Amino acid sequence: MRKYKFEAPQSFEELFEIMHRANFEKDEIKFVAGGTDFVPRLNFELNMIPSEQKQPLQIMYLGCLGIDSIIEKDGIISIGACCKLNDIMKNPVICEKLPVLVETISQMAGLTIRNTGTIGGNIMNASPANDSIPTFIVLDANFILKSEKKERTVKASEFFTGPGKTVAKPDEVLTRIEINLKKGHASFKKLGRRQAETLSVVNAAAYVEQENSVCKTVRVAVGSVGPTVIRCERVEVALRGKKLTEDVIKTASLKVLNEINPIDDLRASAWYRNKTAPVMVSRAIKAAAGIRGE
Amino acid sequence: MSEILNLYVNGTKMQAIAKPESTLLEVLRDELHLVSPKCGCNHGDCGACTVILDGKAVKSCTVLALTAEGKKVVTVEGLSNGSELHPVQQAFIKYGAPQCGYCTPGMVMATVAFLLDNPTPKEEEIKDALSGNLCRCGGYKEYVKAVSAVVSGEFGRLPEGSEINA
Ligand SMILES: Cc1cc2nc3c(=O)[nH]c(=O)nc-3n(C[C@H](O)[C@H](O)[C@H](O)COP(=O)(O)OP(=O)(O)OC[C@H]3O[C@@H](n4cnc5c(N)ncnc54)[C@H](O)[C@@H]3O)c2cc1C
Repeated sequence: MRKYKFEAPQSFEELFEIMHRANFEKDEIKFVAGGTDFVPRLNFELNMIPSEQKQPLQIMYLGCLGIDSIIEKDGIISIGACCKLNDIMKNPVICEKLPVLVETISQMAGLTIRNTGTIGGNIMNASPANDSIPTFIVLDANFILKSEKKERTVKASEFFTGPGKTVAKPDEVLTRIEINLKKGHASFKKLGRRQAETLSVVNAAAYVEQENSVCKTVRVAVGSVGPTVIRCERVEVALRGKKLTEDVIKTASLKVLNEINPIDDLRASAWYRNKTAPVMVSRAIKAAAGIRGE
Repeated sequence: MSEILNLYVNGTKMQAIAKPESTLLEVLRDELHLVSPKCGCNHGDCGACTVILDGKAVKSCTVLALTAEGKKVVTVEGLSNGSELHPVQQAFIKYGAPQCGYCTPGMVMATVAFLLDNPTPKEEEIKDALSGNLCRCGGYKEYVKAVSAVVSGEFGRLPEGSEINA
């Protein structure tokens, strides 16, 4: 049997002290926040995979570090990585200033998973079908990583490198997410087999700033159609400087097909994803641009 | 390497042995012999293992036991007040919500926690709150009817959080 160890450090000093003592050659260290991604995977490992040869696993619980508050200061909203998804949705500052995050999280999992799952866990899971990533990308969010020696900031659009992979090193903890409030509007749309407790077949987010009815700043991201969530620059180029009519948005949205590379999996075929991605992108852009319909 | 886990379960301080890799569900069932939470999918999908942890409904198969240190857990075993069933239990019986019964404890706990937070929900909100609990006998309609009846006051006043063995 593989050996497991459990630590629940009460401060970052304690956390880094344990990490310091750990022998990375011999121990595999895994951070756990809510556990809604980690524990089902562990259950699967315990039941299915012969584990004799595996390294011991040091489970490092992050829930006692106190990184679970939401603060607004100088136009920047800072969300602690260990904030539970439901607490973010109900937070008055988020409800007032970042309604797109409420729109996004309300379509993630269901009430009971959102009582346990954290936003940091969702980001670090780095699933291509993850629902918060497209929204954070179009909001131009920053992720703050902390290791024993330093803290660094990485843009959401540069954070993900593959399925389950990010630029974070094994000794770096995601401590918070920072969003600079801007005057434009953002929106998130999800297509799944059913409304709750389901992962996205395709999802899309958009952020639009208009001036004199012309699109000035725009960011578009789409998920579940490639190895990471994808920023759709060709779609953005086709929108920038234009008046956002239904036709302009429709034509621009089709350009997503040049950016994505979906696979067939248990949730949908590549064919279906290619058919629906432009639709979801177009819906997200329309909603962000304040165009009603569908 | 097991550790002692301290929990307040159904109003009583309890200790259990937990391994680093044990889930809260395993500790409740195998160590504390509380068998109302069921192990359905062991994957966070079906909701049969739902319990109330510090006032919120959680799927106990996705919670690492040791992360619940010092917390309050309520299971179906802790719901009734002596011989009197909780209004949600009474309503489930009257409206024929449980069929095979496997998903019922999870549905009960999800409903109780939801109504603590939102005592006067609309039908859509009830459906949303129970969407994480799968019922393979297909009795979803009855569950919604039963919860609506509780909300309408048919089974009397709902006990508040502090009265539910917490
Ligand atoms: C039934 C079900 C439905 C779901 N539906 C959705 C859905 O619709 N959309 C969606 O996007 N997700 C969904 N999920 C996935 C999951 O619930 C979310 O990703 C959740 O937010 C994960 O948070 P957690 O705190 O539980 O993560 P954990 O399981 O604790 O951690 C996840 C990963 O992140 C790492 N990690 C956690 N916190 C940190 C940190 N601060 N720093 C560094 N690394 C960290 C862990 O090591 C682990 O690899 C679903 C899961 C289930 C079981």
